[in-house]
Amino acid sequence: MSLLSTLIFLPLLAGVLILVMPSAWQSRFKYVALGTIVIQIVLSAFMYMNFNADLAGVSDQNKFQLVERLPWISIDLGGLGKLQIDYFLGIDGFSMPLLVLTSIVMLVAVLASWEIKTNLKGYFALFLLLDTAVMGVFSSLDFFLFYIFYELMLLPLYFLIGMWGGVRREYAAIKFFLYTLLGSVFMLLVIIGLYFSVTDPKTGSHTFNMLAMMDPANYTAGSIFSVVSKQMLLGVPARLLGFIVLFVAFAIKVPVVPLHTWLPDAHVEAPTPVSIILAGILLKIGGYGILRICFSIFPDAAVQSSWWLGLIGVVSILYGGLNALAQTDLKRLIAYSSVSHMGFVLLGIASVTPEGISGGMMQMISHGFLSSMLFFLVGVLYSRVHDRQIPNFRGLALLMPKYTAFVMIGFFASLGLPGFSAFIAEAFSLIGAFTSENVNGFLPRWMAVCGSVGILLSAGYLLWTLQRMFFGETRLMGGEEWKLALTDVNPREVIALSVLAFLGVLLGVMPSLAFEKMNSAVLELIRLVNPQ
Amino acid sequence: MLAAFLPLLTFFISLFVPVKPAGKGAAAIFNIGLSLILSGALFLKVWNQQSFHFRIEWVTIGDFTLYTGILLNNLSVLMMLLVSGIALLVHVYSTKYMQGDPYLHRYWAYLGLFCFAMLGLVIADNLLLMYMAWELVGFSSYLLIGFWFTRHTAVLANKKAFIVNRIGDLGFLIGIMITLTQFHTLDLTELFGSNGLVANAVVKGGMWQSQAGMMPAGWLTAAGIAFFLGAVAKSAQFPLHTWLPDAMEGPTSVSSLIHAATMVAAGVFLLARIYPLFGDDVLLIIAITGAFTAFMAATIALVQNDIKRILAFSTISQLGFMMLAMGTGAQAAGLFHLVTHAFFKCLLFLAAGAVIHEMAHVKDKQGIAFDPQDIRLMGGLRKRMPVTFATMVIASLALTGLPLMSGYLSKDSILINAFEWAEGHSGLAKLIPYSALLTSWLTAFYISRLIFKVFFGELRLEQELLVHVHIHEAPSAMKYVLVVLAVFCFFPAFSLNPFLFEDAWILKGFPVTDSMTRVNLFHTIIPLAVNLIAMLLIFIAWLWYGKQQRKPDFSASGLFRFAEGQWYIDQFYTNVLVSGFVSVSRLVYRFDRVVVDGLVNIFARAAKALSVMAAWTDRNIVDRIVNGAAYLTGQGGRFFGHFQTGRLQHYFVTMLLVVLAFFIYKYYSGTI
Repeated sequence: MSLLSTLIFLPLLAGVLILVMPSAWQSRFKYVALGTIVIQIVLSAFMYMNFNADLAGVSDQNKFQLVERLPWISIDLGGLGKLQIDYFLGIDGFSMPLLVLTSIVMLVAVLASWEIKTNLKGYFALFLLLDTAVMGVFSSLDFFLFYIFYELMLLPLYFLIGMWGGVRREYAAIKFFLYTLLGSVFMLLVIIGLYFSVTDPKTGSHTFNMLAMMDPANYTAGSIFSVVSKQMLLGVPARLLGFIVLFVAFAIKVPVVPLHTWLPDAHVEAPTPVSIILAGILLKIGGYGILRICFSIFPDAAVQSSWWLGLIGVVSILYGGLNALAQTDLKRLIAYSSVSHMGFVLLGIASVTPEGISGGMMQMISHGFLSSMLFFLVGVLYSRVHDRQIPNFRGLALLMPKYTAFVMIGFFASLGLPGFSAFIAEAFSLIGAFTSENVNGFLPRWMAVCGSVGILLSAGYLLWTLQRMFFGETRLMGGEEWKLALTDVNPREVIALSVLAFLGVLLGVMPSLAFEKMNSAVLELIRLVNPQ
Repeated sequence: MLAAFLPLLTFFISLFVPVKPAGKGAAAIFNIGLSLILSGALFLKVWNQQSFHFRIEWVTIGDFTLYTGILLNNLSVLMMLLVSGIALLVHVYSTKYMQGDPYLHRYWAYLGLFCFAMLGLVIADNLLLMYMAWELVGFSSYLLIGFWFTRHTAVLANKKAFIVNRIGDLGFLIGIMITLTQFHTLDLTELFGSNGLVANAVVKGGMWQSQAGMMPAGWLTAAGIAFFLGAVAKSAQFPLHTWLPDAMEGPTSVSSLIHAATMVAAGVFLLARIYPLFGDDVLLIIAITGAFTAFMAATIALVQNDIKRILAFSTISQLGFMMLAMGTGAQAAGLFHLVTHAFFKCLLFLAAGAVIHEMAHVKDKQGIAFDPQDIRLMGGLRKRMPVTFATMVIASLALTGLPLMSGYLSKDSILINAFEWAEGHSGLAKLIPYSALLTSWLTAFYISRLIFKVFFGELRLEQELLVHVHIHEAPSAMKYVLVVLAVFCFFPAFSLNPFLFEDAWILKGFPVTDSMTRVNLFHTIIPLAVNLIAMLLIFIAWLWYGKQQRKPDFSASGLFRFAEGQWYIDQFYTNVLVSGFVSVSRLVYRFDRVVVDGLVNIFARAAKALSVMAAWTDRNIVDRIVNGAAYLTGQGGRFFGHFQTGRLQHYFVTMLLVVLAFFIYKYYSGTI
């Protein structure tokens, strides 16, 4: 079995193993999960080391790496041709960094799962199933397979939030589920439309192969999404409509304003490890989908809509930042800051410049580490006193100095202090957006200027929180009882936090570790979207 | 390069190596001392000789490769020497000043981080690297201002400092974006070198054109203003000056190093680095901002009572002078003043720190609650702290700019340049040199007020609280630092000729704009006017505050209160801008909850209502129809079941009826 399949199905196997283990061993489940994830990290590290940065990927199967392609479902439909779905995996400069990110964030999430006390068998089985689904999403190149993994993520998440969450967990879970489902139902229609428009040049039958969908030559003349025939659907060019539908599906995940309201609720109600996975990985699936699917399959529509995408990005940055400023719940604050930070991803991608797309990718990776760190930190506090209202705490620095040090690292890293990854990411997203007018004329310069105000806002809400909760004389709402409960971070927490902090600094000082691996893919995508 | 990284080593040693605080202090001093020696060596090698440029590839994105490295030329080696020199003195001073603090190791760590960032800032060879160091400097300043993090005012102050500086950083970042778009490089030498890209770019037909691209001409001005905004925030110029007085919440040693001598000068340094970018309109803005800030801050300094606040406003005012020099084309004069100011202002702060140290000591020992920084409670310290007194007087004379002092040379060079520059300008620009002249007189008055109030007369603390207190000279580690700094307040350190600034060696190291004609008249009249009136003002201050003679009471006048309230700028920011911003954010959040989320909920509710309706329809209509059909069938079956009686007579009767009915039907329809 090859590397990618192992990476995907190893957690599933471990999940099954946990299911068949007797419940009396439930204290060992977490070690099984931890062991699985450690193996996964070793595998993905191996994958990172051996990744050939010169191979671009994007639309050419020969330039993908670790490709696995097996016929999976093949039905002869007589007059309709042959239904062919492949088990088709492969990685390029866009998916590889996100796979590595996934395995690292999963490690942190497992370490945060130590706080889960009820129904461990179900919890870890679902957790590992989720891992499988995410890995599958990032490595599949067949749209049908992608969709299966994409939907498969929803199921464990729904139960993880709905069963192990906070007070309003059912509301949050159902909201999350319906929101995402809404996007993906329409996505399915577009997938079917694409299927009937595209034929595989080799076999001549219709195909779900994403790479085939990226080549205009593979579209049957007169088909709904054909590049040449410019079909109209509901008064809108069909390709533009297809792009919009797919974009909305992924935009819900990112999330962008105004499709973001599931996020604060889901984050606040979810248990800490699930918040970490949500913020650290799931949001990235949105950005990844926009790059891999929206931009690559509908490049012409992407060019047409880039101005709007940029605008949505800027609005998300500012709107998320302003909302974060108004929060009194620490977790909700960080949730809104995610909205703001993910806006940079969209702004960078919309610019279709090397700086912008690389910056956007970097922001996804960086936000993956840093938001995981922030949610982990909130979890540390919440697990001790079951409260996270900002006004209820004061002067925590005296009580928990190490914890405060980590909070400061996390806060300053995510407000974009140079030396941390977020700085590089935000700076390059903005630079990309700014140069866009000169390079390709997609985004006006004022968007970058407005977007940069987001950096100021993030300094505002994070420092204000720091001042209110951590500095000053200690004063807690729970009095002496809390004082005893609020012990400083333990070794397990230190390990998880240090890993994240280290990666944040590493990518901030040596950003080429990530840029180098994705550069050729970024250039290839730009060539595909905007051939000049 | 090693020189810059040594303080970073201090940072790590202090944080992670478990040694006693004293050992960490020694290590920190050793590192910064080594930095100084290396800086000295580099200075001798580079000053007025070939500049040194070393760079390596950092990131490649697309076809664009960003290099990173160090650039040593006259400007950077001078700044290196200055920063490491003053930092060393402050390190030594801190061993006593901060003694016994429970978080001393953090102090050394933060100080190390600051020195690293500051040295990195001055040797960076490209704008992005410089920006990174620029922000790190701000960050370490944040840490140090909030060093006593349990004090509410301190943490408010460091938050404010960071956020206000962030506004400037935005400007810097936007400037970088414009430069990168226009020239495709951020390398300082390529951009601003003698035959660099900026110099070769021209404005033609409303477009700003360079070899690499072009933009509308407005962006050239925008770039200048954006970079200047960065400098305004860091160098505490109007309207972003309000963070600096609050930053005095940090330890005094920190104030002297960061908020007087080095970091705040970074704005001036930035302007010097990218000078060719500024067009005439931006230079005029710089000059006006500088002149206005200098004047405003000096008026505020006249009436403050907190010793550190007076010095803080004095710093703002002096930075205004440097900005003014930059704006009037006297780049070299501005840098010269930067260097001389660094020494005497650092000395003023450290001497004030010695005083505060003693006062705070009294406060702790006697257990009386009073503000150890209030000059109204001081007085007569001349006899109790003679060395502190002498050195502080020297620094004050340098600040005032009296002959034989370093400040005389640098300040006069700025003033004379400003007058010469004004010759070529008209309108508002004519006012600038006069306002600077006025400001320099105000300087003489406020600093002598400070000196006389603190060191002359009787100790008012004793008089007011009726206690007897012990105040003595600062410990030797602090005392010697003061003496060393005092030496650098005299002219020989900068020029062998005490009266002619043009002989100063620093001025010769930088390009002098020779477009202006030397007006000899100015060179005699201005120093004379400055000094004679300054002496007069010092004398008045002595009468009022030293001799305690009757003085006019201004405290009720509007102007006095306006100055005391710091022109109400800070209040305006807090009450209008900050609270406005917070209200807006609350409003946006409510919008998010009520409208955006509300729509989602309405959507959900509508869907739910629809489904309830569907369920009702299903139950009451569709199901009724189905049930009705079943019922009818049942009833029908039952009805017809009645016919199946099994009696032959019934069947005959029925048959007869049917046949009869058939014939009747046929008969009437008439078709057989």
